Amino acid sequence: MTAGPQSPTPIPERHRSNPFATRFTRPGRVPPLDATGRAIDVTAVVESLPGGVWAIEAPHGHGKTTLLMAVLEAAAARGRGTAFIQVRSWRDAWPALKAVASMRRSGVVGVDGWEQLPPGAATVIRLAARWRTGCVLATTHRPLGLRVLARCHTTPALLAAIIDRLPGHEGHIAPADVSDAFHRHKGNVREALYDLYDRFERRGR
Amino acid sequence: MRFPRFFGKKLGHRRTGSQAWASFGDGAFHAVLLAAGLTFGGLLLSGVAVPEWRINHRFLPTTCTILGKGLARRTMASADGQGSSAWQPCLRVGYRTMTRDVENWSRPPRRTLTSDRKQALAGLEAWRLGDSVPGWYDPDDETVVVLERGYSWWMWLLTLLLPGALVSFGGMGLARAIQRWGKSQERCAVPSRYSEILDPLATGPRQAIDHPGVPACDDLVNSPGTFLAYRLPIESPENWTLMGFGLFALLWNSVLAVLAVGAGLDLLGGRVDWFLLALLVPFAAVGIAGIVLFARRLLLASAVGPTQVEISGQPLRPGSSYELLLAQGGSGILESLRLSLMLEEQATFTQGTDTRTEKLAVWSREIHSWHDLHLVPGTRFEARSTVTIPADAMHSFASGHNAVRWRIEVRGTHARWPAFVRTFPLVVFPVANAGRMPGHGVSREATT
Amino acid sequence: MTATPDASRSTPRVFVQFSHPDRRFAPSETLVVRYEIEGLGDEPPCAVEHSVLWYTEGKGEEDLGVHFFDRVSDPDRLPPLAASGDFTTTLPPSPLSYEGVIVKIRWCVRVRCFFVGARDFVSEHEFTIGHVPPARIPVASLP
Repeated sequence: MTAGPQSPTPIPERHRSNPFATRFTRPGRVPPLDATGRAIDVTAVVESLPGGVWAIEAPHGHGKTTLLMAVLEAAAARGRGTAFIQVRSWRDAWPALKAVASMRRSGVVGVDGWEQLPPGAATVIRLAARWRTGCVLATTHRPLGLRVLARCHTTPALLAAIIDRLPGHEGHIAPADVSDAFHRHKGNVREALYDLYDRFERRGR
Repeated sequence: MRFPRFFGKKLGHRRTGSQAWASFGDGAFHAVLLAAGLTFGGLLLSGVAVPEWRINHRFLPTTCTILGKGLARRTMASADGQGSSAWQPCLRVGYRTMTRDVENWSRPPRRTLTSDRKQALAGLEAWRLGDSVPGWYDPDDETVVVLERGYSWWMWLLTLLLPGALVSFGGMGLARAIQRWGKSQERCAVPSRYSEILDPLATGPRQAIDHPGVPACDDLVNSPGTFLAYRLPIESPENWTLMGFGLFALLWNSVLAVLAVGAGLDLLGGRVDWFLLALLVPFAAVGIAGIVLFARRLLLASAVGPTQVEISGQPLRPGSSYELLLAQGGSGILESLRLSLMLEEQATFTQGTDTRTEKLAVWSREIHSWHDLHLVPGTRFEARSTVTIPADAMHSFASGHNAVRWRIEVRGTHARWPAFVRTFPLVVFPVANAGRMPGHGVSREATT
Repeated sequence: MTATPDASRSTPRVFVQFSHPDRRFAPSETLVVRYEIEGLGDEPPCAVEHSVLWYTEGKGEEDLGVHFFDRVSDPDRLPPLAASGDFTTTLPPSPLSYEGVIVKIRWCVRVRCFFVGARDFVSEHEFTIGHVPPARIPVASLP
């Protein structure tokens, strides 16, 4: 192996990544966008975050978790302590309660999947949030008696804007595919991206 | 002043923030639990456990003469200003130590404390003045003497249980937070000797020894075959469906029986509970439907008969061939029976309340097929075949959320019953001592 | 893919050399890697971690397995005194690189530079173990 740079040699062909792989589309990878496809100013959201428990409400795959994670990141950048808890079952109630009980006065705790909390645990967490005077942001699919901070809506333009932020699809995905995937899955952006994943795989091989 | 970032990613070369601040709150919380456990445990140990231990190990034996009997009274003030009293029987004894004669009240056992004065008095009746009884005195303070020894195990349990739980939970959580403090994703993923201790609930598929990522095949080689080396376990949803129907029918009809008995007793007693009777009608309909569905499934399972597959070797390797034995029981006519080898990918993604698992068969090859098989009850159709794993096949793989699985699939079409599919898992290891494709020279790679 | 330069600081660049120019390795073969870090400007790293790992990509959550990990914090072995580093490891027999349809397995070398203020920069360089051909999409699932 030589020590210094050589004359340019062709870079070996690398495996092509599917731009719709979860690696690139999972919440936190793409900034939250509004229904027109423009980036949401999460800094303004963070600056006006009130204390207490607030909900980000929307059906499946409409960007709730994406917005939540972006708000947490912006809050952390401004020096506010943050924590993110993904609730998948009743067992995650304890980590959620821990996070709320230990948060700083100006802290922000994100609870993804508030409906999965047992009713008693949800009440205790709300009381703990009131005691700690921080902010708890929860994602919900339906009204649960929480005050609503934001409701997420999706459009084909939003989906197209997300795709523009992903690695290139080498022309395998046409605008008609985007529209078709969006309407086929009734606005569920996550499922639409899975659909586009399959189309890219079929056409790219 | 720069604040640590929660995380900030870009595609390709990424800037990421450490999880320092995210871990801080978690670590502080567990530190509080740990401190509370240690404090509480220390107080309980010093107040309960240590004195009991000293009595049983350090106190010296002597003979006590009962000189007097009495009741000790303890008064406790309550929040409303009223007081309450508790009574404890006491004995005044005389005994001899190594240095002198002592007369004093013995220390009564904790369990004799009672709020009932009469009960406390009754506890004194067993002792008679002038009796000699064994006793034990404290060599560090000869005026302290007890007439009973032993351990109150339930008190020890309480002493250790709650503080122990706080200490272990808080300690493990704090250690975990410290271990992960400010560490990168790669560093956290390196298994340490303490992984199992700090994350006892962390689960993942068991891996084959010396083959990371390849699932262990212990469950596939622990059942010897009748004719070939191994009998493969069946991986079929039919059995679970049958069990599910059976459990539902049992539980539902149990509840129905209780309701029916209640309604019947009411009728016999001359009372008519119209609401209960009205409720029984739909309940009975569902119960009967459950029994019918279960019976149908059971009939189907027994009519189609069991399927067994045996194989001559495990684990499998690409490029190698193995003998298979297929045995199919049941009755009637099997219009077709197809034996296949297949490769399936599985990916699971969880986001909030959604868990999405997708499976895709990416490769399949028919090994053998048969048509118009006449199955006789009590006997079974048997056939041998050879299966070859392709030389360039991908090995079996299993990680937390993704898998590449090999399977033997038996698909049958019955003349009278619905078609069935039964699958049998295989584990394919990578080729041993595989060489690389030839390459040339050295290149310098730019990464931007 | 390019990294967007930060206006307040320079963007590091990591150059990696593999012992095989085509970056294809056999299982259990020895992997020799040399890397150089440039573009640090006035901000030297306080530590550098290099690792060899596999990860999954596709429609499922990413899984990751670290085969080799090392952390360099000795200033004599860090830029600007030492702008390059190297390491050697014997690759495991599995998992092999795999280009599936919904599950892909990729191997890579990661070089992560840590800076003051809990910032870090990671650079990833893919290579291949084994020569398993890409999976083909079943005909039945084609539109």
